Parts: sequence; C-alpha cells; structure tokens
Amino acid sequence: MNIENTQSQMRKGVLEFCILSIIKRAEAYPSDIIEEMKKANLHILEGTLYPLLTRLKNADFLTYRWVESTTGPPRKYFSLTDKGAEFYKELESTWNELANAVHLITQNGHSITVEPIHNFNQ
Amino acid sequence: MKKVININFQGRVIPIEESAYEELKNYTDSLRRYFASEEGRDEIINDIENRIAELFTERLKKQTEGCITDNDINEIIASIGRPEDFDGEGAETTTAGTTTKASAGSSSTGGTAEPRGSLYRNENDKVLGGVCSGLANYLRIDPTIVRILFALITFGGFGSGVLLYIILWIVLPAKGLEFHVRRRLYRNPDEKVIGGVCSGIASYFNIGVWIPRLIFTLPFFISILGNIFGNHWGAFNDFPDVVFGSFGGTLVVTYIILWMVVPFATTASEKLEMRGEKVDLESIKNTIQEELQGVKGRSEKFGEEFKVKATQWGEEVKEGAQQFASGVAPVARTAGNSFGHAIGVLFKAFFLFIAGVIVFAMFLAFMAIIFSGIGVFPLKNFVLDGFWQNSMAWGTLLLFFGVPIVASVIWLVRRISGVKSKNNYLGYIFGTLWIFGWVSVITLAGLISRQFKRTGNIKEEVTMTQPSNNKLLVDLGETYGRYYDMAWFDDDNGNDLPALSADEDSMLLNTVRIRIVKSKDSLYHTNLVKLSRGNSPLLAEQTASQISFPIKQNDSILYLPKGFGISKESKFRNQQVLVVIEVPVGKAIRIDHSIDWYAWFNINSGRRGLNIDEDDDYFNYNDYSWRNDVWYVMTDKGLERMDKKDRNSNDKDESNGDNNWKSGERKDGGEYRYRKGGDTIDIKIDKKDTSVNIKLTTEVLQKEGDDENKTDAIGTKKVKSASYGKSLISVLDLLKVGA
Repeated sequence: MNIENTQSQMRKGVLEFCILSIIKRAEAYPSDIIEEMKKANLHILEGTLYPLLTRLKNADFLTYRWVESTTGPPRKYFSLTDKGAEFYKELESTWNELANAVHLITQNGHSITVEPIHNFNQ
Repeated sequence: MKKVININFQGRVIPIEESAYEELKNYTDSLRRYFASEEGRDEIINDIENRIAELFTERLKKQTEGCITDNDINEIIASIGRPEDFDGEGAETTTAGTTTKASAGSSSTGGTAEPRGSLYRNENDKVLGGVCSGLANYLRIDPTIVRILFALITFGGFGSGVLLYIILWIVLPAKGLEFHVRRRLYRNPDEKVIGGVCSGIASYFNIGVWIPRLIFTLPFFISILGNIFGNHWGAFNDFPDVVFGSFGGTLVVTYIILWMVVPFATTASEKLEMRGEKVDLESIKNTIQEELQGVKGRSEKFGEEFKVKATQWGEEVKEGAQQFASGVAPVARTAGNSFGHAIGVLFKAFFLFIAGVIVFAMFLAFMAIIFSGIGVFPLKNFVLDGFWQNSMAWGTLLLFFGVPIVASVIWLVRRISGVKSKNNYLGYIFGTLWIFGWVSVITLAGLISRQFKRTGNIKEEVTMTQPSNNKLLVDLGETYGRYYDMAWFDDDNGNDLPALSADEDSMLLNTVRIRIVKSKDSLYHTNLVKLSRGNSPLLAEQTASQISFPIKQNDSILYLPKGFGISKESKFRNQQVLVVIEVPVGKAIRIDHSIDWYAWFNINSGRRGLNIDEDDDYFNYNDYSWRNDVWYVMTDKGLERMDKKDRNSNDKDESNGDNNWKSGERKDGGEYRYRKGGDTIDIKIDKKDTSVNIKLTTEVLQKEGDDENKTDAIGTKKVKSASYGKSLISVLDLLKVGA
C-alpha cells in the first residue's frame, strides 16, 4: 500500500459528490467542471470525467442537452435529474456524517492534519 | 518537412500532420480498448472525440502553423489523459459494475507487469472447468492456445490430456479472473472464406491473409498439379487422399479444430483484441523471450503452489474420508465439496468426452457421406426416376443425415466457444427438419421398393450355327465402349455391388448366369432369359427387353458379352441375364475361365431346365462342381467330364483300369456291369462224405444297370458252387500239399 494509491482512493470517493455538486448549482459543460475542480485544487483528467458522466447519466442521475458552440462542435450541458438530486442528498448526508466523524477522530484534541488516514476508506 | 493531411474529425475538416494523425489514431484506439467492456463506450469515445475536436479548433485559431502538430496532439492528450493514467484516477462507483473489467485493456499498453496471482480455474471464461483459461491467465497467454495444446495432448497422448485436465479441475480452486492477454486469437468474420480461421491467424501474427490461406490450400494445389502432370485423371479417385492424406489431412483437421475452438470476433472490442496494438511477430518474440526467462521461477512457483493445493486437497479428501466413516448422512451433506465435487466433475468430463467422440464420429461419417456422395452421385441417375424420387433422395441426404450432424456440430461449437443460446428456436427448427428427413427416407424407400416389386422376363432364342467338330467353347467377347472400374465399391473380395463399372452415361452390369441343360434334339441351342424388376410385370418386361446382350459365334466358339449396359433412361432395376445353353447328348462343351468375370458364375447342369428364379442358386454359387477350362460331354444322365475325372472317381478305380468291369446277365435278360475286386475260392472237404465243396466268391465294388439289386449286390457274391467226386480229392490234396 503506497501513499499515492491511498490518496487516489480518497479522491475517488468524493469525486462523484463534487461533480454532482457542481452540476447541481448550474447546468455544466465538462470543461467547466474541470476548470472549477482545478480551482479547488482537485485535479481530474477529462478522460476520467467523461466516463463518469456517462455512467451517472446512464444511471438516470444526470441528463443533458446539446448547446451550439461558436468555437467548435455542439456541447453537452449536463443537469441533475430528480433522481440525481435525491442521490446527491444522500451523498451529502453521508459526506457530512463522514466529515464529522473524521473530524472528531482526527481532531482528538489536536488540530486538523493533512496526513492521510489509512482506514478512511474502510 | 512534414506531410499534412486533411481529416474529417467529428464532422469538421482538420488539417493535421500525418505523424500527429497516427498519434491521434493510436490514442483513440487505446481509448476504445480501454472502454471495451464499458456500457456507454461509444458515447464516451464520442464525447472525448468531440472535446478533442473542440480543442483542435481552439488551437487552429491560436497558432500560426495552420495545422495540428505533434506538439498539439501531445498537449491535448496530456490534458485529457492516457488510459494508463485513468487507473489511478478512475472512479469506481457502485453504479458501474463493469469498471473492474474496464482495466482489462490497460495491460496491453501498461508496461509494468501486473501481479501474476495464483493459479486458478477461471470462472469467467470456461469451456469445461475453466482450467485452460486459468492456465492461460496465469501464463498470460491466449486461452485458445492452451486449449489447442490440451486438445493435441489429448489426441496425441492417448487421453493423458483428459486425465491432467481432470486432476487440475479437481485440485484448482475456481475464481473469476480478468484477462491479461495482449492479443487473442479470433476468427475474423469480416474476411472469411470458410470459417475465418486464416484471416484470424493473419491478424494474430500481423501477416498478410494470403500466407495462412496458401499454407492451408497448398496440399490441394500440389495434389491437383500432381495429378495433371502425372498424366492420369485419377483426381476423382484421389480426392479422398487429399482430404485424409497425411499432410493435407493434418491441415484439414487443424482447420476444423481451429474452426470449432476459436471464437468469432463479433463485438468491436473482440475485433480490437484480435488485432491488438503494436503486437507483431517481433513483440511476440520478445514476449516469448521474456516468458522463457521467467519460466524457471514461474515453474518453481507453480510447483510450489501445486504442492500446496495438492496437500490441501489431500486434507480435504482425508476429512471427507473421516466424515464418510462417521456416517452416510454427513457425506450426503458435504457432497458439495471434495468427493462429491470430484465425482461430479468426473461424470461431467466423462459425459462430455463421450459426447465429443460421438459427435466427432458423426462428423467424420458426414464427411464420408459427402465425399462418397460425390462418387455415388453419377449412379443416382441410374436408380432414381422422376422428380419425387430425386427430391426425396436429396431430402434424405440433407435432412435425415445432415441435420443431426449439423446440429451436433453447432452444439459442440457452442459448448467450446462458451456461447449459450438464449432461446430454443434452433432446436425446434432442427427437430422439424429432421422429421421431414424421416418422411423423405420412408417415402424414398417406398418409392424405390415399388420399382422393384414385380418381376418380368423375356425369353429369346439365339440363332446359332452348329459347331463343326461337335465341340462348343464358351468365352467372353470384347465389349465396346469404355467402362471405368468402380474401385470405390470394391472390397478385398471383389465387387460389392453387382454393378461392374460405370461411365457417365451407362453402367455395365455383369449379373449374368449360365446354365447348361440337355438338348431335346441333336443340336446346340442357346436361349437368353432377360429378367428385370419393375412397378408392374409389364413395366418389368419392358425394362427387360431393353437389355442388350449380343452373343457372337465363331464356328465352335460362342462369345458372350462382358455384361450389359443400362442407361440412365432405362434405370437400374436389378436386371439379370440367364444364358441357357442346350447341349445335345454326345457333344461337348467347355467354359472358358474368363467367364469368372460374371458376378454370379454359376454353371448349372440343371435337371430343372429353365427354372427361372432370379435369386435361386445365388447363395450356393460357391459350391458348383464345375471347373473352368475342362471339356464336358453331355450324356443321357447329364454332363460328364470327358477325361472321366469326375467327382466320384477314386484312386482304386484308376489303378485297376477298365478291365475290371465285368458284365452280367440279369434275370430279365438284360445286361449289367459290375466291377470286380478280388476273387476268393473257398474249398471245403468233407472227409466223411468224400465230397468237396468249392465256393468262388467275387467282390463287387460297383454295379451299374441292375437297379433291383443295386445295394445288396455290392459286397460278396457267391458266384459258383459245386461238389465234385473223389477223383478230384487227390488232385486237390496234391495242390494243398504243394501249397
């Protein structure tokens, strides 16, 4: 078990939650999502994002519409479905619980560290 | 200087450097492979390509080169990410259960060796127990190759492959495995001639498709050329040799095995797996070298693992045995593991093995039917008459014989390729077709047997001149027209069919019998009886009258034709010819040895005369007492050998000669003949009575002409008995003393 692997595992867990969160705020184009995540210092490859979006769309959490673009081919703009909103809510509550729990455990009288916690994913 | 080409990418014309285009193509291909088993694969690829197109237009606006360069491509790819980079980033979600499979393709590009894992049976891809694909997975080679190797071991090693397989099946634990294969052997459906085997091999080794095709077809060409330059038209007969001959045969069998074992590349991902990437003969060589280097360590590891597995299994068996000892019920409960599993596996393997053998035999039989069908095909027209019989014959061949075989082959192929049919409609179709096949068989048998139901015959007297020396020689004449030997119907003992030979238009039958009877007058006569069968006596007679059997005579020699031809129009209706030769008493006849040519050489002295029954004497044609090349003479009692060496002669007769025949007078005044053995004289001297009794006894060996006392005459017979006076006694006394 190396540190990179653990880090990516941790990132993976929250990736969907973040993407859904961005889309929930406003209809989004994949490049926008990438940009926004980059701003938050959460790097994701487009090659990873597209399959993820497709999967979420196929699971009826997302829907999209075509928007003509001046710079190239028409773009897909994604938005949340009702089912997706529900899913997001569940993820949100889970995240809150998790964040709380992690915070409590890692705080333990100390300040929040950026050290990876090995049993996070279990 | 770089070549710039225009491509149509996502509906836009993009000027791009050729090398950049290659890079782009490789990239999209690698993406395609990466997302091979992903559900929305096409959509993902399309999205990404769309994005690339967008980035292209952005870049074309900004930069000055006016085309997409290598640099641009690399930057774009870097921003989107290569499949190798996805693994660490890729989100594994519960919504997509296929993500684990998605990593299958990455091993082809990722240079790092993945953990090899232990040896398992593969649950995901199996024909029987998944042993082969498990092994393949462990060795990281194509499971098809392992399967073929196993098949070869099984066929070549007298079933040792089966044993090995069963052992591995029992010992190895099952596990769903992913594939770690660079390239798989598939049959190529896009470029197929027969089964797509050759083109599949071609794409596997990255060689031109003509190379395997040439290798597979070469023996056929060689044999055909050989036949042409060998200056004999034996191609017809040699055809089976091409198929079953050593070299060509091996290739044909190999092709068939590959056809059955190797799956079709149906989905696009399979087609990509078939072609692979960057894998050519060079990289295979590298792989093999790499494998060879690692093989030592691996085999050690393998041995170790096997040992562990075996011990485990041994313990399981021990456990099982203990449980067995403790009662029957627990065994029944634990049947799911160890023993029960082993027995189940054994039965399954045994059943499949037997089924495979049966199917293989049926397949060979079908091939035999097809190939001999080519040979029998010309004969078909001699038997079958009319549209219905012909169509029924085809129905019989295709439906009755073909359907079960095709069905079995399909079943076997499915079994081997692991495809499971979802619905049963194919079974119903085959069932229905087979019923039609049965109907065809029964109808055909009925139609044909009707054609043979009735017998008809035609009698013809052959005009002949009387031979000048009162001797007639029966010989075979020349037949005009060419007939080929039907070697296919010969077994070691001769012709299986009454047909001798056939050419395209006619068939030569030699169903000829000869019968020799006594003539009513003092002339030789020859009669022909032509027999045939048919639907009605009239039709049978009509067919019989079409038999042409011209007999020629050259003074004392009677030439019979070699046989008689039947044409396609007159059909085969079990035509026969009976040659009845009447020989007058006292005149001779001799049958040349060439008459053996006839299917049923049967010379019958025939007291019954013209007793026409086409099948009589057929079964005892071996015990005719006649010899070829011997002169026979007709007597009142029938035929006799001219040299008297007939069946009843014995050695005694010969040594004693003719002078032992004595003639006697019967009571009614007639004369009879007897053959003498030795004479004995018995003399009794009655001393009291002074008279002498002398008895002369003759031993009769054989007697003719005295039918009344035929049996009791043979033996001893008192011929003369007399008493003499005393005067003779002294003489006899003297004789006695002298003796």
